[in-house]
Amino acid sequence: MKPTTWISTVTICAAGIAAVLLSSYMSAVQRNKDDKKRMTSPYNPYPPGILPGDLNSEVERVLREVDLVENRALARWQALALPIVRGQPPTLQNTGTEAIETLGELMNFDRNMSPNRNQACMSCHMPYAGFGGPIPSVNLTIVAYPGTAHFRVGKRTPQRHAYAPFFPVLQYNQAQGLFFGGNFYDSRATGVLLRNPDAEQAQGPPVDTQEMGFPDTACVAFRLNTAAYRPLFELVWGAGSLDIKFPRNTEAICDIPGGASTFRGNTTPIDLTPEDRTKANAAYGHWGQSIDSYEQSVQVSPFSSKFDAFLAGKYKLTADEMAGFELFNGKGNCNSCHLDGRGTTLRPNQHDTGSAATVNPLFTCFGSANEGLPLNPRNAFYYETTPDSLGFVGNPYGFGYRDLGLGTFLRSGFGSGPNPNSNWTQSAPSVDGQMQVSSARDVAMTPPQCPTTEAGSRPYFQKGFFHNGYLKSLKQLVHFYNTRDKFAFPVTSGHCPAGTIEKVTCWPLPEVKNNIDMTTGNLGLADKEEDQIVAFLETLTDGFTRPYPNIDTFTGTCMTCNPVTDPNCSPSRQGNGSLIPTPPLPPCASAICGAPPAASPPIP
Amino acid sequence: MNTLLLKLAVTAAVTCLLTSNPIAAQLSPTTPRTPRVQITQGPAIEMTKEFLTIIRWTTNNPGASPEHYGVVHYGTDPKNLSETAKSLIRLNPDHASTVFRVRLDNLKPRTTYYYTVGSEEANGTDDGAKSAVKQFTTPGESQRAGRSQAWD
Repeated sequence: MKPTTWISTVTICAAGIAAVLLSSYMSAVQRNKDDKKRMTSPYNPYPPGILPGDLNSEVERVLREVDLVENRALARWQALALPIVRGQPPTLQNTGTEAIETLGELMNFDRNMSPNRNQACMSCHMPYAGFGGPIPSVNLTIVAYPGTAHFRVGKRTPQRHAYAPFFPVLQYNQAQGLFFGGNFYDSRATGVLLRNPDAEQAQGPPVDTQEMGFPDTACVAFRLNTAAYRPLFELVWGAGSLDIKFPRNTEAICDIPGGASTFRGNTTPIDLTPEDRTKANAAYGHWGQSIDSYEQSVQVSPFSSKFDAFLAGKYKLTADEMAGFELFNGKGNCNSCHLDGRGTTLRPNQHDTGSAATVNPLFTCFGSANEGLPLNPRNAFYYETTPDSLGFVGNPYGFGYRDLGLGTFLRSGFGSGPNPNSNWTQSAPSVDGQMQVSSARDVAMTPPQCPTTEAGSRPYFQKGFFHNGYLKSLKQLVHFYNTRDKFAFPVTSGHCPAGTIEKVTCWPLPEVKNNIDMTTGNLGLADKEEDQIVAFLETLTDGFTRPYPNIDTFTGTCMTCNPVTDPNCSPSRQGNGSLIPTPPLPPCASAICGAPPAASPPIP
Repeated sequence: MNTLLLKLAVTAAVTCLLTSNPIAAQLSPTTPRTPRVQITQGPAIEMTKEFLTIIRWTTNNPGASPEHYGVVHYGTDPKNLSETAKSLIRLNPDHASTVFRVRLDNLKPRTTYYYTVGSEEANGTDDGAKSAVKQFTTPGESQRAGRSQAWD
């Protein structure tokens, strides 16, 4: 072959290969663009009336509030005197604590941590709601929040995460035969790797298909690369900790919500070298640890309530608050699990006087319980049975889904996460239906302009209580504990018999009958005693002894109603105007209730 | 030097124990087991409907693990209580007594059942308190009014 011919051949081949590669790349880019275009068409498998009418505007409103707090955090960082790295091991001296707490705050309120740059962690957990759900109409209706892909929706209420960092690593106590700790309602953030359940909880939503929705955990490191606060991240976690060689298509991949059929189930679609994957994983661990640092700080979990002032001798509970406290510990028996921190580890011949707290009380026992909540047919999750434009189906089982909480997690089942300890799996039947006992702290927190959670003559902030948001007021919550069994009826929600009122004189069947906690259910509390327990719960709201940060950011509208003209304008009947009849229920899907080990008795 | 290190290690360990994480103290505690658990009230039928019966009784606080099960053995033949129902309750260490309540689902209407009650720790350790055999009769189908499509 002549040299000129050889050169021509090589040139033609090279051009051909380049053309193929370019074509392949352009094709991938186009595919991603197509995916993104499809993604922008809203997913709406819901019957009319399921989604609240103001959903779009309320999501936008919360995003503006998220940005406001993010800007405040940026200002705090800019004003922060930099810590000095000293000692062996090297430690961030002086302002190291504030540096990592501020970093966690910046991450929590960063809307860029989602494919569409439209959802931050705090989109579902604003400070003025006690770090619970910030949209009253969502709390009233679909209870779970839409994710980055509108409108894929999760299955549970956003769990208030103040004081969540104090939960221990999930453990099975052999002597007691009980599970303690973890984070999330089903305890699936165990803390097994980071030894910190709250940090591992923070690693869930960014890659949850119905929440922030990244398709790959490395997308977090990728977006941190361009975050305004990257220097703070590197100050805390080390220079070069984000130096990762990302492939050129990373942005295109991270722009597509997880679960899209284009990924074919691959959870690491970003092609990284092993070394860079390790770095990205480390950054994801630091993401969780930084957020945990913020959530444990006085910004979120400050022990600054009236009750804390009472313990310190600086506040005198009112007569109703004190009566409620005594009922909480006595007839109501609430502190059998919502521990008030008093000396309960008794030894022989010791008697608890109950006069002083031995620790800062967290009002949880870190355990789990099935309180027997009815299935809530307003939950949008039941309707996500068809694929969205990306081919993702949120809930293929529809109303055949049952939320078994901790039981499903121990089986590594649908809608939960992988159980890291196979020795625990055998215990699943004894915990079916159980959900984590949240701290009662800040359960009543509302924005200042909406001073209560209870409907009536004052403006109020609508919340949703328990994992499925079935209860809409604290009064209903206490009344449920008090009368669940007294007013039990063999019906589903929306079908209470004539002459009864749902949530007042009729409680529908539990969603899961197994393992119901019978400590409560027929407490014999009088109506006034229920109100007094509510008054006590309201003393657990932070911000009494010092201002609660960012509680002032609510720019929405309080709910109002007229008790004279509206029969549902009372804490007892609050939200009853939004009840819908539960459709005929198919049997529980075998993938859920038939997964081994078998539920005992079988769950229909 | 080694002795010094050992002293430092022991001191650190003791200090750690004395100032141990206060959060650990908030786990539901295992309290001292009561030597003799006795039924002080009941058992009695708290409620009985066609679809649900609840049996209730009170004991002195049995202590030990924070969660216990009320256990009901029942059946239609007083000499063969072949069915078992268990319901979970949480002890309150501050309370002198403990109320056990057990749910019995899926009973037949207009049927007389015989039962005994007892209790055990979450790990299955028996509290040692047992009742004599008692009985109750479920109501008839009339209470099916208001029934809707549901699980059972």
